[in-house]
Amino acid sequence: MTYVLNRLLSVILTLFLITLVTFAVTNILPGDVAMMIMGTQSNPEALEGLRQSLGLNDPLIMQYGNWVGGLLTGDWGTSLIFKKPIAELLAQKAVASAIIVVMSMTIALTLAVPLGVWAAVHRDRWQDTVSSSTSLLGVSLPDFFWGIVMILVFARWLGWFPSSGIVEPSEDFLGSLRYAFLPSLALGLGLMAHLTRMTRSTMTGILGQEFIRVARAKGLTERTVVWRYALANAIGPVITIAGLQIGYLFGSIIVMESLFGYTGMGWLTYQALLNRDLPLIQATVFVIAAVVMITNLLVDLLYVLIDPRVKLG
Amino acid sequence: MKDIVSVDHLRVEFATDSGPVVGVEDVSFTIAPGETVCVVGESGSGKSVTSLSLMRLVEFGGGTIAAGALRFRRTDGTELDVAAASPAVMGEVRGNEIGMIFQEPMTALNPVFTIERQLTDGLMLHKNLSQAQASARALELLRSVRIPEPERRLKQYPHELSGGMRQRVVIAMAMACEPKLLIADEPTTALDVTIQAEILALINRLKRENGMAVLFITHDMAVVAQMADRVVVMYRGKIVETGTVEHIFTAPKEDYTKALLAAVPKLGEMKGKPAPERMRLIGDEAARAARIVPVARKKEVLLDVRHLTTRFPVKGGILRRTTAQVHAVEDVSFTLNVGETLALVGESGCGKSSCGRSILRLVQPTSGEVWIGGRDIGALNHHDLRRARADMQMVFQDPFASLNPYRRLKDQVAEPIVNFGLASGAALKERVEELFDRVHLPRAFMNRFPHELSGGQRQRVAIARALAVNPKLIVADEAVSALDVSVQAQVLNLMMELQEDLGLSYLFISHDMAVVERIAHQVGVMYLGRIVEIGPRAAIFESPAHSYTRQLLSAVPIADPSKRRFADDLAFKPIKSPIFPLGHQPAPSVYTEVAPGHFVLKD
Repeated sequence: MTYVLNRLLSVILTLFLITLVTFAVTNILPGDVAMMIMGTQSNPEALEGLRQSLGLNDPLIMQYGNWVGGLLTGDWGTSLIFKKPIAELLAQKAVASAIIVVMSMTIALTLAVPLGVWAAVHRDRWQDTVSSSTSLLGVSLPDFFWGIVMILVFARWLGWFPSSGIVEPSEDFLGSLRYAFLPSLALGLGLMAHLTRMTRSTMTGILGQEFIRVARAKGLTERTVVWRYALANAIGPVITIAGLQIGYLFGSIIVMESLFGYTGMGWLTYQALLNRDLPLIQATVFVIAAVVMITNLLVDLLYVLIDPRVKLG
Repeated sequence: MKDIVSVDHLRVEFATDSGPVVGVEDVSFTIAPGETVCVVGESGSGKSVTSLSLMRLVEFGGGTIAAGALRFRRTDGTELDVAAASPAVMGEVRGNEIGMIFQEPMTALNPVFTIERQLTDGLMLHKNLSQAQASARALELLRSVRIPEPERRLKQYPHELSGGMRQRVVIAMAMACEPKLLIADEPTTALDVTIQAEILALINRLKRENGMAVLFITHDMAVVAQMADRVVVMYRGKIVETGTVEHIFTAPKEDYTKALLAAVPKLGEMKGKPAPERMRLIGDEAARAARIVPVARKKEVLLDVRHLTTRFPVKGGILRRTTAQVHAVEDVSFTLNVGETLALVGESGCGKSSCGRSILRLVQPTSGEVWIGGRDIGALNHHDLRRARADMQMVFQDPFASLNPYRRLKDQVAEPIVNFGLASGAALKERVEELFDRVHLPRAFMNRFPHELSGGQRQRVAIARALAVNPKLIVADEAVSALDVSVQAQVLNLMMELQEDLGLSYLFISHDMAVVERIAHQVGVMYLGRIVEIGPRAAIFESPAHSYTRQLLSAVPIADPSKRRFADDLAFKPIKSPIFPLGHQPAPSVYTEVAPGHFVLKD
């Protein structure tokens, strides 16, 4: 329990640092929020009044305090371009993107782990070469290229999945999965390569261990030896890499969601950046950082369940 | 066929890039029911390959049974041709009719499964037991291998158990289905001597109670003498000699067997001898070894260790503060004379290595004084300490790890000379050549890299490197433990020869009582960081006074089949933890002098 508390403390500390950095960077960026709201042609007095009411004339420390205070109380401000409360906007888009993140990671893991195990079991044989070239192909081509291929094959030629758009999960959950599938598959192929390689290398190490020989000497079937005895030991580092890739995924969804016209967090971030919607940029950066950190915390806690040698101490 | 196993002209090959390599060739032997057959040999003799072939596990290491027959009489009385059996049939035999235990208890158990799961999965597979029945049987098995608190162990993971306990679990796993044959591949090599004695006694009892046959693979002739009914001696993939254990030990026919036996020190054989003696060797080395050790020189103290204490912090918490301390070395005092050997013996974790390292200040002692040749090593500053290191060198256990794989041997031997600015140019080359001669390595080896040498040759290089700066003291930390017995004997003889010629003093750190009895002048027995008994070799071995010394000596296997000692269950006191809370002040070590120079710690 102390371990979890310690980790939570460090998450909170890091989140605090993130609010500092985000706030500082967005304040250094050129552009005046009040001017963006009212336009460049607006009346200077009205502009000054808006500045006053938005608190833009307050000392930076106070502005920062207000912003963090708002984050904590749920008042995340209003988006300049969407003219909507940011909290509401994010809540909706985050679910859409969560579907893509979870789905692409699931696709990546279900493909990568068997492929990596297969390569490790047949190490230095043709299966190994097939596995490593397949995963290399996945990583050497950029995500958006895979996105284009997916649209071409699954939407244009086969017509199995829609090529673009989004359905809100609250309206039609299965339908939303259909729309999320192609971007997720494209992202999953990119993620797969590292996971396959990691699975292969940890499995190779584990299969050479004495306890594997002992398991075989017990008469256990090769399937049990590989998929239970060995994989249970090899999966930890793979999960860690998967956790780290979540952060990388948030970068990738910006491109992928825009490509598929999927209006999730990635698309929202892109719009915010494009239109210098400062409050929205601050909020999205903060949310992405928080999600990445919490994912990594969950992965570390998961590790404790996987490996009894890792102590919560 | 009455025999359980009959191996006939077995040949195993391993596929490599440069064609097949023969692992074993023309190996034939039999095992009768209830019999213990020991296969003994040095590294690379093919003894493990033979045992893995019997289980057809050799395939997983890239080997194939290329010729010969392996017959196993199954429980139902039918005879199985192991080499031709289908994987399904082998699955039935493995773990069910043949059990196997391996060398490394620390890695033989799956770290992420509970002991219960690992004990029960074989039972459920082979005996069609339910989970509950299998768990009940697992508990019964843990009791039969005498593990303390068996109920609790079932729920534990391997890392929560000590090495000795893990090996008991591995044995329980192998015994789970009551196999007719137990294959034990170096089952005690990685264990401390008292644990080894317990495990050997356990195997003997289980064999007696279950009437199973045992195929025991080992490199240790002393263990063979203790365990075997019959012995198969192997060398480079072939059988050298087969016979009953009495026959092999009393009247070996082949030269290789004779040489192997000669090189094994027997505990107790130095009784009544005043000075250390060379190891016996047969052949080329014999003549050199026969030279008589010269009379002892005038006693002059080289190393004087006073109240040496070394503690290591145990860190914990968010701020990584020290929460406890490992009392590795606790109030240790002794002296070592010029030209003599003091052996520090004890089991793993007793602090003998930490003691050696503290003396050289490779780890910083917590308190105490170390005087070498009248200089207080502990008081030296950084610069002077570096100078002083020329007087004190170290030889480590693992000659594979202690040499840099990327540098030529001549450069590695020359390095300390260059480092201390002792010679350069032609003089340096001459000195390095002289050192290679000194350790009996051909000068042609000077340009080689470490991987081109055998383990024994590497250890000679390590010794040459230690000698390069003309040290007075050499700390040899398990310096011969990783070597095969014949090579070990040669390296020990080399060390003794160097001692006579150069007047070196050795601090010889070892767990091997039989070797120590042969080569040491003085012996200190360590337990939980303290020297519990110290004195002349004869006193320690012939009239041990401390209970721990007696326990240690009673656990050493003797390379003589007429002196068997592990018939009944043994249970030595487990070693306590050396970790104490911060601020714990242990009492100083107080000794009683039971005979001149023979000190025993007061409990």
